[in-house]
Amino acid sequence: MAEETKPKRMPPDPNSAKYKLGQIAAKAYTDAIEAKARGEMVGWCSSNFPVEIPETLGLYVCYPENQAAGIAARGGGERMCEISEADGYSNDICAYARISLAYAKVKDAPEQNMPQPDFLLCCNNICNCMIKWYENIAKELDIPMIMIDIPFNPDYEVSDAETEYVKAQFWDAIHQLEEITGKKWSNERYEEVREISGRTSRAWLAATSCARYVPSPFNGFDLLNHMAVMVTARGKLEAAEAMETLLKEYEENHEKGVSTFRAEEKYRIMFEGIACWPWLRVTSTGLKSRGINMVTTIYADAFGFIYDDFDDMCRAYAKVPNAINLELARDKRIKLCKDNHVEGLLVHTNRSCKLWSGFMYEMSRQIGEACGIPVASFDGDQADPRNFSEAQYDTRVQGLTEIMEQNKEGN
Amino acid sequence: MSVKELLNQFHDIASDPKKQMDRYLAEGRKVVLTAPVYTPEELVHAMGMVPMGVWGADVELKEAKRYFPAFICSIVQSIVEMGMKGAYEGASALIVPSLCDSLKVLGENWKYAVPSIPFIPMTYPQNRKPAYGIAYTKAGYERVMRDLEKATGAQFSEEALQESLGVYNEHNEAMRHLTAVLADHPEVSAVQRNDVFKSAWFLRKEEHTQLVKELIQALEAEQPGAAKKRIMTTGVLTDSPELLKIFDENGLQIVCDDVAAESRQYRTDNGEAASALDSLAEKFANMDNCSVLYDRDKKRVAMIVDQAKAAKADGVILIMTKFCDPEEFDYVPIKRACEAAGIPVLLIEADRQMVNYEQARTMIETFKDLL
Repeated sequence: MAEETKPKRMPPDPNSAKYKLGQIAAKAYTDAIEAKARGEMVGWCSSNFPVEIPETLGLYVCYPENQAAGIAARGGGERMCEISEADGYSNDICAYARISLAYAKVKDAPEQNMPQPDFLLCCNNICNCMIKWYENIAKELDIPMIMIDIPFNPDYEVSDAETEYVKAQFWDAIHQLEEITGKKWSNERYEEVREISGRTSRAWLAATSCARYVPSPFNGFDLLNHMAVMVTARGKLEAAEAMETLLKEYEENHEKGVSTFRAEEKYRIMFEGIACWPWLRVTSTGLKSRGINMVTTIYADAFGFIYDDFDDMCRAYAKVPNAINLELARDKRIKLCKDNHVEGLLVHTNRSCKLWSGFMYEMSRQIGEACGIPVASFDGDQADPRNFSEAQYDTRVQGLTEIMEQNKEGN
Repeated sequence: MSVKELLNQFHDIASDPKKQMDRYLAEGRKVVLTAPVYTPEELVHAMGMVPMGVWGADVELKEAKRYFPAFICSIVQSIVEMGMKGAYEGASALIVPSLCDSLKVLGENWKYAVPSIPFIPMTYPQNRKPAYGIAYTKAGYERVMRDLEKATGAQFSEEALQESLGVYNEHNEAMRHLTAVLADHPEVSAVQRNDVFKSAWFLRKEEHTQLVKELIQALEAEQPGAAKKRIMTTGVLTDSPELLKIFDENGLQIVCDDVAAESRQYRTDNGEAASALDSLAEKFANMDNCSVLYDRDKKRVAMIVDQAKAAKADGVILIMTKFCDPEEFDYVPIKRACEAAGIPVLLIEADRQMVNYEQARTMIETFKDLL
């Protein structure tokens, strides 16, 4: 047998979206580290906290969820989780929280370091677990915690009462932060940030909607990497430019008939849930080896933060994926499946996320029925490698593939 | 009635909620189910209906597995299991607050799992103390009222609510008084104490208050039994008779509690605001010391230490309902604070599908020897 030679990796093109987006994500950490070294205050911020607030105020913030995902993807998840478990935290608690609590204690993780916080920015529009996690860190480190409560909305529309409640909290948070950091709010700067955030969001939505082309000009796993920039930097000009580059590349790929999915695209699926970061390669290879391209996820829709004014912004933050009822969550996914010619739904039953997984059985049944597509689920975890079985994943993906194959033959 | 007769009566009520529901329905009253942890029961009461607490049941989960992954708490899952099996048929609605992630998914699943009983969401603010938080609580109550009117045809009135607030305050006071009296009566077992607290969920509050007052009177007329080791319990739910029997077998007396289904319900009274509805909204704003209510300062932790000391508790037992993450987060600072104060702490994990209590028994026996 001939010796296998690995193809030489080309050096990254500094004008490519991938390079630019990677730089922005990395710069978020180095900027915060440098700011801390200069003596500036640095905050820890939950992923769907209104980024417009720290951005307008010119505050440096880091994102513990993003850090935990990075640590988990690079193999440090179990080690960090065990540090928290030794302190008495149950291994049933969200693994991002366990990693973050451990990091607040040991203050070092070679996989992804970031400065310790001087204040916390918490928003529970993704889960109430977030509140408990940040409460404990605030108490432990004795630092201020800004809490914006965006309740789970049991209705399809955001009520006026909720908009008013959220708006009052936004202003309260702004005033508290002015007090804590000495920075001042500027309406002009906010308008700039709003414009840029809208521009970045439009480019993201347009780029992810290129999955409507068959074959898709991109591998959906790309989105899992690029979304870090949508979370942390969508109010920054360089993010808008990088997302516009991404859109341009995807359109060009389509015109040239190429894709970042490096295999023949036999099947197209939607992936539901947070990535299984410790097993990213395994979960990705399990699909690619069967010619399955994960063309879309709810993230494609989730970061479309396009709004006209402050009230509209409040409503946008009340409509993020984990804050909406089953019917709205279902309809958004059905649209993504239909727009992007999805043939199957693969659901990550994520042990770390009770809210995301808690009504997924019923919702995925309804999506499957509405779209006429098979649904398969596997057990996993966003950051704790112990909660995933490669064999189960393989069996479930194989089952999904066989039904998609039968459906193709039937057509 | 004697203490024994009264305790038997509480036991009968606590162990057969269906019987109570059937009785109320036969009397022509409508029954509205209320899920953990806090719901505006006073509104239901003021509209002439009977709020009945649903905290699930010790049943095997079968049907509910179609809706929930295994790692959602068994309280929530068994509520749906019971609903799907028809145990709540006859009830007019289920009110679910959005106070934790598992409760959020309870409501969403309920709509499809038990379509015969309408789901009424109560969305509480976590920033509940500022004026904008109180306004949002009030808006939530108004929405519950509208949904109740739609589901039952019952009508709301300010006057009736004002009266109901008084009924609930009186019940709170009676339960607090009873807790203090029970602390001086070690002969009342942990199982019996639980019957008194549990039965409160299944009776109209004025009826329960009456029985509790009778019990207080009867207890005060009796000589306290022999002293036992004094413990404080904390957690969401501690109503398993099998587990409580182990407390009794080991000579442990519950002298106070910080349990969500027990004393946390009775700490905060309705005040007097501009309207009855405002008073009810302010009551929620004034609530604290609970794992599902945001508190940057985590005052609950110090409160447990202070309360345990004040009640001369020898130790604290935290009953952890498996997969209850709000409590799992609070456990670590509680444990640290109790240990720093020299109060022994025991963590026992429990759920509604627990059949083997041997591990808990061993832990409790060892803990007792430490006290």
